[in-house]
Amino acid sequence: MKRFWIASLLMLLALGMQAGEKKQLHILSANDMHAALECMPRLGFVADSLRALYPDLLVLSAGDNRSGDPLNDMYEIPAYPMVALMNMIGFKATTLGNHEFDSGQEGLAKLIGMSNFVTLCANMQPDAKWNMHVKPYQVFDCGGIKVGVIGAVALGVMGIPESHPMNTVGIKFTDPLQSLQQYQFLRQECDVVLFLSHLGFNTDVELSAQLPWVDIIVGGHSHTQLKGGEMHNGLFITQNKNRLACVTHTTLTLEDGKVVDRQAENITIRGGKNENKVVRALVNYFSNNPAFQRVLAQVDTPFECYEELGSMMCDAYIQEGHADLSFQNSGGVRFETKPVGGFSVQDVLRLDPFQNEAIELQLTGKELIDMLTMCYNNDGHAFPYVGGMKVEYTIDPATKAVKKVVLLGLDGKKLSTKKVYKVVTNSYTVAICPTSRKDMGQGMGKITAQLIMDFLEHQGHVSYNGTRRLIKK
Amino acid sequence: MELKVNRTNIEVFEGAEIRHALLTYLTRRRMSLKFLEQFDIRDEWGHEVSLDAPASAFTQIKLSFKS
Repeated sequence: MKRFWIASLLMLLALGMQAGEKKQLHILSANDMHAALECMPRLGFVADSLRALYPDLLVLSAGDNRSGDPLNDMYEIPAYPMVALMNMIGFKATTLGNHEFDSGQEGLAKLIGMSNFVTLCANMQPDAKWNMHVKPYQVFDCGGIKVGVIGAVALGVMGIPESHPMNTVGIKFTDPLQSLQQYQFLRQECDVVLFLSHLGFNTDVELSAQLPWVDIIVGGHSHTQLKGGEMHNGLFITQNKNRLACVTHTTLTLEDGKVVDRQAENITIRGGKNENKVVRALVNYFSNNPAFQRVLAQVDTPFECYEELGSMMCDAYIQEGHADLSFQNSGGVRFETKPVGGFSVQDVLRLDPFQNEAIELQLTGKELIDMLTMCYNNDGHAFPYVGGMKVEYTIDPATKAVKKVVLLGLDGKKLSTKKVYKVVTNSYTVAICPTSRKDMGQGMGKITAQLIMDFLEHQGHVSYNGTRRLIKK
Repeated sequence: MELKVNRTNIEVFEGAEIRHALLTYLTRRRMSLKFLEQFDIRDEWGHEVSLDAPASAFTQIKLSFKS
């Protein structure tokens, strides 16, 4: 009888221990890496170090892995370097950021096919013809802990992610919250439900009240630097600034299959010392890319001043942006001369290194004059270069203020101040020209350097020697 | 698209980044554009945000000079 009681007691103790068993899930998360190739060796080192301690480490990205470095974004297969590096570092999943669409659906489908990690997005249905392997969710087994991960991307005012509208034609996007609610069944199937969000911090906080079945939001999009993580409406949220300033190591403690504790710490990546040498070797390989020496066009007569190069840039905006008129702030033209010979990819990136986005505006002639005048005032008192027109302007020598501006067509006839023109310029210029106008502008989803490259490639030969479109009276 | 920078309404183009909102803010206030890199930039919750964050993800931005 005594033995029976002892055995029963031991059994109860064993059951009790099992019932109260604690497990830990370790997550390493990055967001908005924006092709910070130079930081990937350090990230590789951090991932390896954590994986040595926690073999079931779940490495995740909350989207916008690309768009930020021409070495990545202008690779032969655009953005492949980041995919190769993420494969090497051992990422398990990414959600789609708006910038993942920057090289169109065919480009995105190709990259997803080359990824060793899954791409998750619950609020999009791709066009079947691209065979794009995007899943709404994936369940991971992390050392016996079942983790359901769901992804979603932010939609802009047009109901599509903020990329060039042509990049998302044929994709059906749905409201993130409504889409997420379809996957509540994951609560029953998984120990942990994680939402990999590219919606931005404010939206994550708003949604947290409506997602009580989710344990944690690993966020991105707004480049918000949190100190570890924050609780909002009972939901744990993490996010970091962009370009791998930091990543987050999150530890979730589970008891009886429920998350009972959440801890998160930031790990500095940018500027950190130790690196994974194999990842460094791959970064070096991508950095010495001969594709950047590729000649786009032949220069038939030498460029001999800023205005000639600025005029060429403006023509690129007109032709590749299908515009009537264009202008370019003079401070944005970064070299003055270019001899006869090849104009390479690297030359374009030196001429226009700022990664400014091309912006299209619908402006009356009067509104354009206002913008040109404000651009002159705010860009070192230098008149902007123009395309599709010539400009006569008068400056007061005492005050340096613009007294009069007249727009002329290339035939020399005056342009109407009332007629509406489609005008293309760069995002910096639009920002420093907050004039009173109807149209504040629309991003074209392409950087101006890309327009210049496309223009040169389409032209094959260029000759701007002697081109003068600015007539100072 | 409109957002507030230090309680001032700033209108920016669709697709703008925080950088563009701050350039517009500085221009409006006739301040040197060189100040751009010297700001400590926070969202309405007090979190630090980067210059190239999408402006659409914010409704309010608070600026102060880095100490």
